Amino acid sequence: MAEGDRLTESPSGQRGVPDFVGRPGPSAYHRLNPLTKATLATATAIAAVALGGLVGPIVLVTAAVIGPALAAGVLGRLVRTALLLSLPIAVSAFLVNLFFFPGASQVLLRIGPITATAEGLGFAAEILVRILAISGAVTLFYLTTRPADMTVDLERRGISPRVAFVTNASVQTVPAMVERAGQITAAQRARGLDTEGSLWRRIRGVLPIVGPVILGSIAEVEERTMALEARGFTRPGRRTLLWAPPDTGAERLIRWAVLLGLVALIAARIGGWLG
Amino acid sequence: MAELRAEGLVHVYRDGGVRALDGVDLAIAPGQRVALIGQNGSGKTTLVRHLNGLLRPTEGRVTVDATDAASLTVAQLASRVGLVFQDPDRQIFAGSVRAEVEFGPRNLGRSGSALGSAVADALAATGLVGEEETNPYDLGQSRRKLLAIASVLAMRTPVVVLDEPTTGQDARGVERVRAVVEGVAAEGRTVLAISHDMRFVAETFERIVVMRAGRIVGDGTPETVFGADAWEALRSTYLEPPLAAVLGDRFGMGSTPTDTSLIEALLA
Amino acid sequence: MTISLAGVGYRYAGATAPALLDVDLELRDGEVLGLVGASEAGKTTLCLVVSGLAPRTVGGQIRGAIRLDGEDVDAWPMHRISERVGIGFQNPATQLSQVTGSVFEEVAFGPMNLALPRDEVAERTWSALESLRIDTLAERDPVRLSGGQQQLVALAGLLAMRPEHLVLDEPTAQLDPAGTRLVADAIERLAADGASILVAEQKTDLLAAICSRVVVLDGGRVAQLGPAAEVLGDRRLRDLGVAEPSAVRLQRAAEAAGVHDARLSEALAGG
Repeated sequence: MAEGDRLTESPSGQRGVPDFVGRPGPSAYHRLNPLTKATLATATAIAAVALGGLVGPIVLVTAAVIGPALAAGVLGRLVRTALLLSLPIAVSAFLVNLFFFPGASQVLLRIGPITATAEGLGFAAEILVRILAISGAVTLFYLTTRPADMTVDLERRGISPRVAFVTNASVQTVPAMVERAGQITAAQRARGLDTEGSLWRRIRGVLPIVGPVILGSIAEVEERTMALEARGFTRPGRRTLLWAPPDTGAERLIRWAVLLGLVALIAARIGGWLG
Repeated sequence: MAELRAEGLVHVYRDGGVRALDGVDLAIAPGQRVALIGQNGSGKTTLVRHLNGLLRPTEGRVTVDATDAASLTVAQLASRVGLVFQDPDRQIFAGSVRAEVEFGPRNLGRSGSALGSAVADALAATGLVGEEETNPYDLGQSRRKLLAIASVLAMRTPVVVLDEPTTGQDARGVERVRAVVEGVAAEGRTVLAISHDMRFVAETFERIVVMRAGRIVGDGTPETVFGADAWEALRSTYLEPPLAAVLGDRFGMGSTPTDTSLIEALLA
Repeated sequence: MTISLAGVGYRYAGATAPALLDVDLELRDGEVLGLVGASEAGKTTLCLVVSGLAPRTVGGQIRGAIRLDGEDVDAWPMHRISERVGIGFQNPATQLSQVTGSVFEEVAFGPMNLALPRDEVAERTWSALESLRIDTLAERDPVRLSGGQQQLVALAGLLAMRPEHLVLDEPTAQLDPAGTRLVADAIERLAADGASILVAEQKTDLLAAICSRVVVLDGGRVAQLGPAAEVLGDRRLRDLGVAEPSAVRLQRAAEAAGVHDARLSEALAGG
């Protein structure tokens, strides 16, 4: 199959695959191949750790996370999501290092028995930037890549359609179970199950909810399986893809360059050339 | 006895902002047999879930027995309004029919012989006598629906609400549901049922409420609701009157929503 | 093109009693065969057996012979049968793959699995959507459609496989009257186009309108098989747990009450 093309009018005049299938993303960054974006995210995360000091990681976050996020129009969501993701660990790491950095002498602030030190502040800042770099890189990938695009790309590269399906479908599992649990809770409350009372009552109320959730989910899996089999799902071998995210020579080059750069960086770090 | 009232009831779902109820006024006297009809999305399920507090009004008020439902918890309302959900598999969790039916009344504080007789009566009404120790999943889908009904009947609530009780039932199942409705009504308790089966509705209920797009667009006896004057309103909500009503009108017999009423008109 | 069952019996894995016994049946090209019976009479089991899901996916043991155009399918794997026989179920939501973002991709799912060339996949998908008049829904998210619309999407997904036979297990059971009408009209059109369909339903009014023959199952056996009007008009139907069509019921009630009205007879005979 030719890469990333989509027939809208085939020679015989038949209708083809419509435009909305595999709709390309809104920005150039979105439209990068998922593997490229994954490579960039992974490399950014690893580089954040490999780079020493404070300046390096800050530049990295700006160039590899904030810059692309701005270009892709997802900066707002990125900041919110990445902060949400990393807040607990970031705050605790920051505070621990600020106040309890060993061997520090330059005191900045004293609150009762604990002291904030300048060395601690420096180290805390370094940790913080790295945490933000990693969560930012992961979030950027997540915000600019549709799960379906990723699995289709993997399938085009050779993974079995059945594996691709399971990957996609498992994303749906948790929301579906949550929804089912909500409905079951409603039905049991209608029979007097007390979900607003004491803790002990609420604990006792778990079984009448968990039971049907599990049994029902299992029964549903059975029905779904039959429906899939009836549509040729278990036919061995590959299947036709209507669309796959394009991959270009330039992107392949970028991926290799990034990987080599990362290896060089790690080598430099280990070799002590970066201090 | 419990009178049910909805006054200016509006419900907007928080996720999606769908205005599922758009100003509903309804009063149901104790002991009435009421059917609620309308296409999916018309607000029927949303409305009945306000009666036992599972949903709370965005605007307006719901009162059960002159008490504002907002002042009662769902567990408290469950002792007054019993609601049977459409899908029994979203409710059944016990290993035996008996345990399943006992769950509701136990939650309401019943025990001992009061519990035993409530359960026995419920099983008798739904044709499940003898299946006390059976695993609910060894019953067929149709009988599991009756089990779900039994488990609410055993709570002996003054009001019983059934959400699509005849969906997926065979002929015997439908008959059984009809008998349940009549049995509950005979005890002076209120029955409210959502149904898509127009003939079942015309033959079993004394009052029919028609909903469309979150509002009540029809409310009356089967004669009124299935009479020719109301057909346009009915069809605007994609419902059709029963065959007997259509033929009765064709023959100039007036409004004959049931087979019996048509035949009586022909004999007259 | 015919599916024929000869002496077919089936027992679910771990069950003591067979769910089907001694079934002789033929589903002929271009006919709509109605399937009725009390709950647990074996309707769903029969649908699973005819479509090949039993025993292949569901397990259990099968006896007797099932032949597609004279060829015994006993050794055929599921995907080979699914190209010839499609099966639809009553729950609209569980028939969706849930991994597709549009109705078009959902309907294309089957042909894609068959590894057909891409323009053929597209062509089959458009044909299926058009034959059920849902081509306007092509871009919509399947998960957000009404139950009736989802059933049509599921049906289109089956049609896109271009099966010779279609088995539908209570397709309108979970639908409201509007959804029921959508699906019933679609089945009628397919039948008129010469499709061969086995449809199980409790709604005998619906079957009376679209079926040429009807089979009644009772306790896993064929209790009756014949022309629709005859089977659905048979007085034993109710004893077999099946509600007669409205017209038949009215006719009988009138006779029992001693009403002999020409207008009524004419109206009921006209259907």
